[in-house]
Amino acid sequence: MKILINIALQSLLSRKITVSLTIISLTISIVLFLSIDTLRLGAKKSFFGNVKSGDLILGARSGEIQLLLYSLFQIGSPTNNISWESYQQISKMPEIDWIIPISLGDSHKQFRVMGTTQNYFERFSYRKDQKLQFKSGTYFKNTFDVVIGSDVAKILNYKLEDNIIIAHGIASQSLHDEFPFKIKGILKKTGTSTDKLVLVSLEALEAIHKDWKTGSKLPSKIKSKKKEIEDLDLTPKELTAAVIKLKSPITIFKIQREINDYQEESLQAIIPGIVLTKLWQIVSITENIMLSISSMVIVSSIIGMIAILYSNLNIRRKEMALLRIVGASPKNIFTLIMFEAFLISFFSIIFAIVLVQIASFIFFPILDRQFGIFLEQKLWNARNLYFLNLVLISSLLVSIFPSIQAFRKSINDGI
Amino acid sequence: MNNVIEISDLLFEWKNKKQFSLKIKELKIQNKKKIIIFGRSGSGKSTLLNLISGILSPTSGILSVKNIEINQLSQKKKDQFRANNIGVIFQQFNILDYLSPLQNILLPCFFTQFKKHDKEYFYNRTFDLAEKLNIKKNILYQNNSKNLSVGQKQRIAILRAIINKPYLILADEATSALDENNKNDFINLLMNLCNEEKVTLLMASHDTSLKKNFDMSINLEKILL
Repeated sequence: MKILINIALQSLLSRKITVSLTIISLTISIVLFLSIDTLRLGAKKSFFGNVKSGDLILGARSGEIQLLLYSLFQIGSPTNNISWESYQQISKMPEIDWIIPISLGDSHKQFRVMGTTQNYFERFSYRKDQKLQFKSGTYFKNTFDVVIGSDVAKILNYKLEDNIIIAHGIASQSLHDEFPFKIKGILKKTGTSTDKLVLVSLEALEAIHKDWKTGSKLPSKIKSKKKEIEDLDLTPKELTAAVIKLKSPITIFKIQREINDYQEESLQAIIPGIVLTKLWQIVSITENIMLSISSMVIVSSIIGMIAILYSNLNIRRKEMALLRIVGASPKNIFTLIMFEAFLISFFSIIFAIVLVQIASFIFFPILDRQFGIFLEQKLWNARNLYFLNLVLISSLLVSIFPSIQAFRKSINDGI
Repeated sequence: MNNVIEISDLLFEWKNKKQFSLKIKELKIQNKKKIIIFGRSGSGKSTLLNLISGILSPTSGILSVKNIEINQLSQKKKDQFRANNIGVIFQQFNILDYLSPLQNILLPCFFTQFKKHDKEYFYNRTFDLAEKLNIKKNILYQNNSKNLSVGQKQRIAILRAIINKPYLILADEATSALDENNKNDFINLLMNLCNEEKVTLLMASHDTSLKKNFDMSINLEKILL
């Protein structure tokens, strides 16, 4: 066996160019597949990572995907709000463990401003039940304190105690410049939409909108002073949505039904996991196409490898004849060709692993920065190992054909 | 045992090429003799050598080497028998370029003899024989055999054929690609080594000028039925 490995290795080394091209082709196809799969899973993980916190999302009645998008991903705008009274009543349901109110509408530069409570920092979790952590500072204690996500801090180069001005609405030129906020906390990177949020208290949002009505500043009113505003009743009148965590998941459908049947106001509750799965099914057509293409690339590379093994059989006829004469059995010849296929596939896999690992170090931070796709550096999960084994096994399986050919020829090839 | 090879009523036909057949009534090759077989191209010289080596099996008749009918052996035993008892020198020497000269010489041992004997014995035997054939150790240890001269290749091929202490060496047109000087050198080396090692030599060639170097010559066309 040792001699066969040695002969296979040295024989491959003596055919450097063809073997290298085969290895390169197979390596590229494996890298392509792994990259697409990693991206696909990373994007999915990033996407689903946002929905770990709650069992239900409460919002005004609209499309369920729309509610999910604006409440968890801050994508799009709500068509309606929910009243503070309804929120209060629902939050008192005995089945509810905790509830996080969300109020959207304003922005800071290209980032969304979200009004919430301290509960958000204590209860919000993402991916494997990870909690929000502060890179520096802490959550807001005063009305005009603000906490920013890691991307906001990084892109806008903000640090603690910097003052920021919030704009009314999204991409609006109207600024709440009479109420500057002070950055009191910067969150650690989560890979979720939280990284791109400017978080303020619900009271602060109420305060800065005191002089506003139907989206415009009231011209007749004299600008309220920051100090004066803080003394007023800043209980919010409306909310955009709320994330609900139940004491027991058994009650999830009961509470959902109760909210959907709520008489005082037109409300709805969605189960984020289910809605996100529906949404992902729409998106997944593209990923399936890409996966199919990369699988086909792998198949074609393996076929290429077999073609090279086949074409080499004729060139190597003398070599096989010699091995037979000196004592190699047809079985040995079969094993030799199989070894060669194994070595080509094995080295392709090793090179692919190295390349993907290098690419992950280079491109993952770029993907995170540019597209918000947070990918973990830990690539070698059971799924990838299973896939690599599959490549190895399939290349060995198809190599059986040239190996049988070599076996048959070697029986008759002699002096 | 006087005869290394005994053939009687041998018939060989290719399955797909019915127009060719090899029929020999009787042929006996004596032990330790050096025999040359002549014949035109396509007369069946190589086929006969392949039959003797057990690579091909006769359609009918008896062919025994060392009193063993090798076509009666299993594939595995046939391969082992060949590796242990028969050395072969090819027309183009068939040196594997990607192996070192030392590995080329020891190739037959890797498949059989190393299992039974001390590796060191065969390494030492290689060095001793190489010295006799004027091959220096540094040549044996070259990374590969790409840059060997024709003369060096000849000697490596002879050493490879003899390393396993075979009873019989088969050489197929081993001088056909050589110029006159190289041919004479090759024949002298081969004869000397066969005498020293007391090995039977059966060489197929179309070059009748080699006749003088052998104990006996056989014209294949004359013994064919």
